[in-house]
Amino acid sequence: MNILVCVKQVADTEARILLTSDKKSIEIENKYNMNFFDEFAVEEAIRTKGKVKDCQISVCTYGSNKATEVLRTAIAMGADKAYLLDNNGYDIEDPIITAKILASFAKTEGFDLIFCGRQAIDDENANIGAMMAEFLNIPHVSAILKFDVVDEKKARVESEIEGGKEIQEVQLPALFTTQKGINEPRVPLITGVMKAMKAQINIIDPATLKDLSKGMIDESASKISVLTYETPSARPTVKIIDGETPEQKVKALIDILKDEAKAL
Amino acid sequence: MSKEIFVFVECKDGSIRKVSYELLSKAKEISQKSSSIVYAVIIGSNQDVLANQLKDFADKVLIVDNEKLSKYRWDTFLSVMEQIIKKYKPYVMFGPSTTTGKDIFPRLAARLNGAIISDAVDVVFDENTLKIKKPLFGGKIISWMKCKDDSTFFVTFRPNSFIVENRSLNGELIKENIDVSEDSRIVSISTEKRETKKVDLQEADFIICGGRGMKGPEHFQDLEEIADIMGGRVGASRAVVDSKWRDYDDQVGKSGKTVSPKLYVGCGVSGALHHTMGMDTSKVIVAINKDPNALIFQYADYGIIDDVFNVLPALKEELKKIKKEI
Ligand SMILES: Cc1cc2nc3c(=O)[nH]c(=O)nc-3n(C[C@H](O)[C@H](O)[C@H](O)COP(=O)(O)OP(=O)(O)OC[C@H]3O[C@@H](n4cnc5c(N)ncnc54)[C@H](O)[C@@H]3O)c2cc1C
Repeated sequence: MNILVCVKQVADTEARILLTSDKKSIEIENKYNMNFFDEFAVEEAIRTKGKVKDCQISVCTYGSNKATEVLRTAIAMGADKAYLLDNNGYDIEDPIITAKILASFAKTEGFDLIFCGRQAIDDENANIGAMMAEFLNIPHVSAILKFDVVDEKKARVESEIEGGKEIQEVQLPALFTTQKGINEPRVPLITGVMKAMKAQINIIDPATLKDLSKGMIDESASKISVLTYETPSARPTVKIIDGETPEQKVKALIDILKDEAKAL
Repeated sequence: MSKEIFVFVECKDGSIRKVSYELLSKAKEISQKSSSIVYAVIIGSNQDVLANQLKDFADKVLIVDNEKLSKYRWDTFLSVMEQIIKKYKPYVMFGPSTTTGKDIFPRLAARLNGAIISDAVDVVFDENTLKIKKPLFGGKIISWMKCKDDSTFFVTFRPNSFIVENRSLNGELIKENIDVSEDSRIVSISTEKRETKKVDLQEADFIICGGRGMKGPEHFQDLEEIADIMGGRVGASRAVVDSKWRDYDDQVGKSGKTVSPKLYVGCGVSGALHHTMGMDTSKVIVAINKDPNALIFQYADYGIIDDVFNVLPALKEELKKIKKEI
């Protein structure tokens, strides 16, 4: 069984993020991680490999050279092969293009099972998984909480739905996006890290992939564009509510919420 | 170019979700500026009563009624939306950035080779362009984006981004006869709904959020009672969810839900960045914490520095009084 995991390198939540003076681009402090939800995807692939025979895990990302770091993290956790779909340092805005590139890679290699994180924590788009599945014409299930391979051709999953959970059986090949709660992602062992440092990262120019050409994936192909970036307006300083007793403080708070904040 | 605005109406447990009314309200406001009209699209089974409720919020209501659509599945709903869009060629379609919206809109945009901007919080019509506001990096940066060409444009918005405006448009109801196709590769075995009459966390106007300072699961009963008085919901920090005091469904923050209620009250929440990224778009933030240096006071509008267990009983009593006044 061939498993593909798609991962993204994202700015650490603590990283400082600044705007350039023309407000047209963003500068990110050099602190990056594997996207939070992608860790569950890598972990689920590794657990699945432990349960089926002849299984191989490939991990890929569409990003810059720096993104090889997350590929190495995935290898350190237990993935077998890594692919960087090199964006030459150019971040495309349009998620459809990213999904097309990843799908085209998946088509070229051929996979039975694809895992993605539920969403990226930098743009919170939650787009790539379902889009890739559409381009590959395979079924997808979003936000899975339990995963089991029934046989070579079928998986059984529990997923989050509006106001509850659902159990479904899905014919493979299929794509699943992982939600928090599905597993506890492992912390790589030192032997894994050593292996990852030496691992070969396959670098692919997306324009050479099946059914793709440069014109289909460059900026001119993007259907959306950024007009401008802003920094959010700062919240006013907190008003600490004084009072002798908790009761007095609460009374004063309620008055302010009613009269000043109009929140009650 | 047509300028029609379509809104995908999401229903839950037999009623229309509040976010759908929010989107219809905003769509109408935009349509008045762009001299276009608003279509509500409601997909399901036996939707007549619900469709009638939409009449006053849209110029036209497209109803797709089929028993195969009684339960949401992306494959069936997608086949319907695809046909509707091909038939009417709207300029833009708005949808909610909810579990369902996040499941169907990306796939729909991919199928129709459209343009998509997800998880937006505002939209303005200016210089003949729809400008979409979308926070990035947990709200550290705000971006304004647009669709570059005339592809069908899809935008999903976070719940609680817009105010519901009551209108009386008395829109036309139109029944669409559409074949529903199902993807036989997916078979539903069972569904389990949480038994709750409470509002969705992302849609709640009032959230009282408990952190580790609440000391244990048993103390969340106080928060539940306050949430009930206010018709709101109890939220939780990740520390609380990881300790299994509350379900993941309640988690506010970067790896949980992004919420923007009218009033957020944090009780024993320290205000770590991962948490505040999920709630700093709340209209009014109140923090109750015994530590005057807690980070949450940097985000709060109002703060009470005290032991949360001394404050909660008084808060409950005062809020009860207010609700009686109204
Ligand atoms: C990748 C990643 C993702 C994350 N995602 C999230 C997320 O989505 N949501 C989230 O919430 N966190 C998230 N976190 C965790 C986050 O960084 C914090 O650890 C967490 O929010 C802290 O929760 P807390 O405020 O309840 O607990 P603590 O930080 O322990 O704070 C408890 C607070 O309670 C106060 N307190 C204690 N006793 C009392 C009392 N009797 N009366 C009044 N106040 C009292 C204390 O002064 C303190 O400020 C994430 C972390 C990581 C690394």
